[in-house]
Amino acid sequence: MNKKLSQQIAFIIFKLFGVLVVAILISILGFIIVNGISVINWEFLTAFPNEGMTTGGIFPAIVGTLYLIIGSLLFAFPLGVMSAIYTHEYAGKGWIVKTIRMMTNNLASIPSIVFGLFGMALFVNKLNFGDSIIAGSLTLGLLALPVIIRTTEEALKAVPNTYREASLALGATKLQTIKKVVIPAAMPNIITGLILSIGRVSGETAPILFTVAAYLLPQLPTGIFDQAMALPYHLYVLATSGTDLGASRPMAYGTALVLIMIVLTMNLLASFMRRKLEKKRSK
Amino acid sequence: MQKRKIIRRILDNITEKLLTISGAVTGIAILFITFFLFTEGAALFQSPQVEHGYALYVNSSNPVNTLQPEETKAIFDAEITNWNTLGGKNSEIKIFRIDDAFQIYPESELGENYELLPAKLGEIISKEENILAFLPTQYAPQGTAVKALAAKNIQPKEYFLGKEWLPTATPVPLFGVLPLVLGTLLVSIVALIIALPLGLGVAIYLSELASDKQRRLLKPVIELLAGIPSVVYGFFGLVVLVPIVQKTLNLPVGETAFTGSLLLAIMALPTIISVAEDALRNTPRAMREASLALGATQWQTIYRVVIPYAKSGISAAVVLGIGRAIGETMAVMMVTGNAAVMPHSLMESVRTIPATIAAELGEAPAGGAHYQALFLLGCILFVFTMIISISAEIISKKKTYKTH
Amino acid sequence: MKKQLALSLALCSMAFTTSAQKIKGSETVLPISEKAAQVFMKSNSANKVTVTGGGSGVGISALIEGTTDIAQASRKIKFSERQKLQESGKAVKEITVAIDALAVIVHPSNKVNKLTKEQLEGIFTGKIKNWKEVGGEDIKIVPYARETSSGTYEFFKEHVLSNKNYMSGIMSMPANGSIIQSVSQTKGAIAYVGLAYLNSSVQAVSVSFNKGKTFTAPSVANAKNKTYPVVRPLFYYYLTKSESKVKKFIDFSLSSEGQKIVEEVGYIGVK
Repeated sequence: MNKKLSQQIAFIIFKLFGVLVVAILISILGFIIVNGISVINWEFLTAFPNEGMTTGGIFPAIVGTLYLIIGSLLFAFPLGVMSAIYTHEYAGKGWIVKTIRMMTNNLASIPSIVFGLFGMALFVNKLNFGDSIIAGSLTLGLLALPVIIRTTEEALKAVPNTYREASLALGATKLQTIKKVVIPAAMPNIITGLILSIGRVSGETAPILFTVAAYLLPQLPTGIFDQAMALPYHLYVLATSGTDLGASRPMAYGTALVLIMIVLTMNLLASFMRRKLEKKRSK
Repeated sequence: MQKRKIIRRILDNITEKLLTISGAVTGIAILFITFFLFTEGAALFQSPQVEHGYALYVNSSNPVNTLQPEETKAIFDAEITNWNTLGGKNSEIKIFRIDDAFQIYPESELGENYELLPAKLGEIISKEENILAFLPTQYAPQGTAVKALAAKNIQPKEYFLGKEWLPTATPVPLFGVLPLVLGTLLVSIVALIIALPLGLGVAIYLSELASDKQRRLLKPVIELLAGIPSVVYGFFGLVVLVPIVQKTLNLPVGETAFTGSLLLAIMALPTIISVAEDALRNTPRAMREASLALGATQWQTIYRVVIPYAKSGISAAVVLGIGRAIGETMAVMMVTGNAAVMPHSLMESVRTIPATIAAELGEAPAGGAHYQALFLLGCILFVFTMIISISAEIISKKKTYKTH
Repeated sequence: MKKQLALSLALCSMAFTTSAQKIKGSETVLPISEKAAQVFMKSNSANKVTVTGGGSGVGISALIEGTTDIAQASRKIKFSERQKLQESGKAVKEITVAIDALAVIVHPSNKVNKLTKEQLEGIFTGKIKNWKEVGGEDIKIVPYARETSSGTYEFFKEHVLSNKNYMSGIMSMPANGSIIQSVSQTKGAIAYVGLAYLNSSVQAVSVSFNKGKTFTAPSVANAKNKTYPVVRPLFYYYLTKSESKVKKFIDFSLSSEGQKIVEEVGYIGVK
């Protein structure tokens, strides 16, 4: 009886914890959505900020974030995929691969502000890019690199070895096998990784603080050496500065909602794809 | 035909070389980051204690030859007012700054490019025995009765054990990182204490109790929690959590270490849950069944068999959770109040390392002592997270070792 | 004659279309630059102006490093900064674009509505710790300051704290907006902000710089007639060699239209 009771109590507590986690998510999302939804309209998404950021929209921030996503993945995606192909398909099981894998893990655990520090020292100051889209993209790209490497490696791992052996037996070279057999088979999973890293890149603030983010740009950036606004930094600005916080609050809620929508859509898309793939595989 | 083949072979060759090179890229990136952080950071100990380009001067009859940074600060804050506390004569310290010179002499007397300034400054110092002058070395006072105080470089001890972080104080900036390090650790560890039982509970629920349907609801929820950008958490914390903490705990301020810990706990939850759940799930079915067959209840099986078996995995979850918390920047910066003080209690404001870097890096002129001090903070953070990630790796390795 | 003038103006504006002008620095000057940039670009669509915050220190070091064209600052350029410019062979020009009064603010429920300079010094250096020491309720004083990069931080230190350092462990806020928010939520709070940031969620305190003989409230009128003691000029700095690039915007901000913006934003014009 006593055993049963303690079990019941424990299980109820665990269930409550589960409910609590759901409640936390709902309260955060709900808070942003309820406050932000009324702000979002066509003008908010397509206009420039106006009147000390109390009216108008967040168009340049959306575009800036888009540029940063494209810029960073242009650099990180091919590099990450190639790096994963090398460690998984070419390099043996020796200490080199082990070290590289350990470094990838470590790179993933470095705090984003340290990337910002490094990006500022190298790209902004040493290479003299100044605060620019290219400096921000490279910094964010470094941040996305481990995500891409890891998901690609997992994707490659999921390709059955029989595929490779069959291709090699037919006389294809190793590179041909990789190009024609392994990569196509792993592609959906690799894309999942890409989507995940888009989510990661679009939400980061600390790395762009000193490498690209502009407080206000009345027009869109025209080149890769221009500064850009970005949604996460814009939200930070709206939340903390401004002469009239009361009037700019709605804009902050709206920005937070747009940012969350982008990031969460990416995450949901990725997990949806992953689940679909898992189902396919189990069939 | 032949030609095309050759070209293709060359191309293939290049591709394979490229693959090799990119394989090394993470290694190179880490080395680069380490190199940059540490070279910039280490340069701090070659920087003088006194603000760059300035020195402290006294009258040559003054027996004091050197001042500790804390002493200098205390003098300029008017906490030390007499030379005898510093081993000098019993007379009041007269502080002199370069701007004071312009009040004594009209600018016309100083020459067009202030070329007469050094002589005038020398005159002032020779006349006043109890003077402590803080002057730019470019206009170093000239005269026989002038003595410059010994200029030392910043000492590692002052940096790592210093208790005051006043990076823009004049004449001596104080770069004591102890309050920042302790603040970071306090916020992260308390966050973990909050998040661990919660995360572990949810992980047990997910792996042992939940039905398929419940799991399908909870899993995406946790993924979504992990996906919310930290600045959104910060905004939420600023607008919702800070006032709540202040009101419910009846505190004078809402921006406290505790508020930061709460927010970080939420942010660290997904990491803890997913790593711990994996570990729990990896317990062999046979072990559970054996326990149940012996008459244990499900709960007994969980805490006597499953949890001990998954211990190393759970420890890895703990370590990774701390890692996530330690490096968090924006959310913490927005809710902890950022007071650079040795943390006394959870209900007071603290300043963390990441928040300090984020708030101050933009202002610090590249190459100056402040800039270097911030890079060194980055190094500390880097070393912390390296230790954490390597120990997480070692811990989870242990597990596979045990199973076989 | 008129035609010629128009032609030369058109030529001039063409010559100036080179690239975007970057303004960077003080959060206090930000509202002016932001609004001025918007109005300016409406009439000069060929000229692009980008505005970034970060603090006066950020702006000036960006100017030294060449990553900005105009540094907006709420304090005078420091001697050490001038030296750095000299070392790199650059000369800098200073323009006073507006005057700002610094208001000391407390929670609206606070009964203390006047403080002397000495009391302020005591509060911000940590010597006075409770409101009852300055005639208020028995509540702990919670001073807020701006981050160290801000010119407001430096100006307040120089002019109100007689160059003494702030108490160690003062709460520091990254921007003026969050200061207002924190003060409006915190009963024992005290802080300082630029006049433009003042609103009804906080209470401004009258200050006395003559040992309590007269107290003056922070307002545009009192700052204009110079009875309010904590006023400071707000600056634009630019390198003399880039004068041609930034001249148009600078001229605009000093024009009557530009100065109207200054007053609209809540500061005091210089003309």
